[in-house]
Amino acid sequence: MNNFFVELKNVKKVFGPVVALDNVNFSILKGEIHGLLGENGAGKSTLMNILYGLYTPDKGEIFIEGKKVKINSPYDSIKLGIGMVHQISTLVPQFNAIENIILGTEKDKYRLKIEEEKEKIKKLSRELGLDFPLDIKVKDLSAGVKQKIEIVRALFRGAKLLILDEPTTSLVESEFKDLLKTLKSLVNKGVTIIFITHKMREVLEACDRVTILRRGKVQGILNRDEMTTENIVKMMFIEKDIKVTESALPKVELPESRKSEKPVLILKDVSTESTEQSIGLKNISFEIFGGEIVGVASVSGNGEKDLAEIIINPKKLKNGEIYIGGEKINGLSTLEVFSKGVFYTPEDRIKEGILPEGNLKENILLGHHSEERFLNRKIFIKWNEAKSVTLDTIKKFNVYAPNEETTIRRLSGGNIQKVIMGRAFVNSIKLLITHNPTSGLDVSTVEFIFKKLVETRGSGSAILWIGEDLDELMILSDRIMVLYKGELQGIFKRSEFDKYKIGLLMIGGQK
Amino acid sequence: MKNKDLFRVIIIYFLSIFFAFVVISIIAVLFRYDVIKVLRTLLTTSFKTSFGFQETIKKTIPLIFTTYAFTIPFMIKFFNIGGWGQMLFGGTITAVVGLTLPKIGINLPSFIMIPLLIITGILAGGFFALIAGFLVAKFDINPIISTIMLNFVAVQFLNFIATNPIYRDPYEGHPITLPLPKSGTLGFIFGIPYSIIFAIISIIFVYFLIKKTKIGYEITAIGYNLDAAQKYGINFQKTILITFFIAGALAGLGGTFEVINIHKKLIEGFAQTSGAQYGIFGVLTSLIVAGNPIGVPIAAFLMSVLLVGADALQRTMQIPVEMVFLSQALIVLFIVTFRERFLRRK
Repeated sequence: MNNFFVELKNVKKVFGPVVALDNVNFSILKGEIHGLLGENGAGKSTLMNILYGLYTPDKGEIFIEGKKVKINSPYDSIKLGIGMVHQISTLVPQFNAIENIILGTEKDKYRLKIEEEKEKIKKLSRELGLDFPLDIKVKDLSAGVKQKIEIVRALFRGAKLLILDEPTTSLVESEFKDLLKTLKSLVNKGVTIIFITHKMREVLEACDRVTILRRGKVQGILNRDEMTTENIVKMMFIEKDIKVTESALPKVELPESRKSEKPVLILKDVSTESTEQSIGLKNISFEIFGGEIVGVASVSGNGEKDLAEIIINPKKLKNGEIYIGGEKINGLSTLEVFSKGVFYTPEDRIKEGILPEGNLKENILLGHHSEERFLNRKIFIKWNEAKSVTLDTIKKFNVYAPNEETTIRRLSGGNIQKVIMGRAFVNSIKLLITHNPTSGLDVSTVEFIFKKLVETRGSGSAILWIGEDLDELMILSDRIMVLYKGELQGIFKRSEFDKYKIGLLMIGGQK
Repeated sequence: MKNKDLFRVIIIYFLSIFFAFVVISIIAVLFRYDVIKVLRTLLTTSFKTSFGFQETIKKTIPLIFTTYAFTIPFMIKFFNIGGWGQMLFGGTITAVVGLTLPKIGINLPSFIMIPLLIITGILAGGFFALIAGFLVAKFDINPIISTIMLNFVAVQFLNFIATNPIYRDPYEGHPITLPLPKSGTLGFIFGIPYSIIFAIISIIFVYFLIKKTKIGYEITAIGYNLDAAQKYGINFQKTILITFFIAGALAGLGGTFEVINIHKKLIEGFAQTSGAQYGIFGVLTSLIVAGNPIGVPIAAFLMSVLLVGADALQRTMQIPVEMVFLSQALIVLFIVTFRERFLRRK
């Protein structure tokens, strides 16, 4: 008999052209805190969603305490003793802690036995050393307290394994210390914990063992004594087998190009408000010149989205100054920024990038709909002009679509991305801000997009490229800057590129 | 692909109407009415006599206006239940202007008076709807609530004007004003109100607005995907205000024509037909065409055929008009259900 609580064997999951998990073996010992690490898109979420029953694997087996099981829904996984605490609170804000914890566990069909359950919950939380107010509406509580409630909720349902998905995202330092204490005490009571994180320090402080994923594969499993910053960073960012990396990446050369004399984009001390969704930016300053690609390397949620959006919507600026081609753009609207020769492709191509029920013409026009060339007497849209521009884009970007009237929703992800990229090049631009343009695409489309970026750079435009894949960024960037917790950690020139150094900064290691 | 979709749509509409009439027939049988006669009256009254046809057109015109009043905000996912109130307010202010001018000694010729009253109705209805638009754009107040509340305001405002000693007709027991001056009224041609010309202009206007203009594109884009529209610079708040203004303006215009063309004075309940208000029929009609502005006139006409048929049923067979409301509600329910079931995108 081994001592594993969970074992996943040879698990495979494919989404379209992307292999999210490739023969992954993952096992957790009873009563340990097991870290799960990896870049964005490494497959952490997919793996956990399989364990939690949100996805079913294409191949592979799951064993819980030595028994082979099938998990088809979260309901199954809860019955097997698996509890999940999500990154963003899933509590009902209008309910208090008790109501949230008993929600869905009611045994009596007609009567809520709140008083009896309350005693049980009080006892459980006392045993665990987790105290929180029972009668206050959850919406009035802090993120740290909400998390305690979520943990108790999972344990109240009989969870023996807790999956914590990036539990520290919205916590302040003291709350993190608290959480750490809680986890240790849970483990002493026999609970097993999977701790998903991006942050180096948390792994070193919290975890007994750690599994590192990269591009859907297990890169390594480290025991406590092997866990050094160096080992972890190497496994997260540097592949053991170099050949694999090369075959999965497109081969695009970055030729010499002439940088402009004056910077195209300047940010001076830029800060933005931090909200529950985003960490905000803190005093960011940098310059980008024409003819260069500047990559932004960061683990998702460290302010990279704010960086892209503050430039195209400077109304949200808290303080600082932004200049495009020497002109200050503070307080301008998105369309006014676009009129200065800037364009943007957003992170989530379906949710933020397209009008799904609209046709290609309508989609290409988005963001250009106020430009003089598309308007008659400032009111009427020149659909003929939109049509010819669309047909032109279809040709230039090899969009696989019958004509400009095709509904964009019917296209594949790669073709949708090509339309979004094509839209950015309807006019000649000075600055392109592009966020994860290649995520989830097949290699040939990635290569195509890379070539377009190189071409644009060659024509003297500047590109700010926010990427989730450090390998890709290193192929194509003239410089790479690292964001962590909304702060600029450093800018590397191409000659200084070092996966280890950059990776370390991305996950909050010491400079 | 497109043809397949069109075929499905036709089938859905046909089946919905068919099932609705099946239910009506069953009810008619249960109440021992002659089913064939009920159906024939319902469907053919509009086409048997010229009076029937004229009545149908008279109902179609205001219905087109209130249907647009619902449809345009619905394109950006807002429910304007206030088409009725906007129609009442537009009509009431029109009457106030039309009655006040001669009273203070300003007698304008028809070719100035009529355009003036039309603009009055447009502005009055537009600004009245803008209250709800402003509340949602600025404070996120659900327009379902604000527009329903504003309907009550409009009803009471009409009563206030129509019972006001300055305007009311002293010989009438109801809230009714004195007649408008002749220069401020429109006539009929072959029993069809002149306002049909303006209804047709409005149809063309809405078509061009949605399909050909920048604001129409912005409305469409927000309807497709608010997030993307905003990321690429479309101002959501501004578009809310514009859609509500246009919606109210069209409803208000409809109110103006009811006052200056049909009744030639302001009377309580001028925005009602067969005992129910045009606003709610506008909502039903718009739901039938799924908020697609191009289908509105056809749906409004068919709706009016049923309403005229309903009046005839009540007159000749003593069947309450509510039975026809039932059939209209059923058609909408069937269409919405079938559409969700068979046309929904994954």
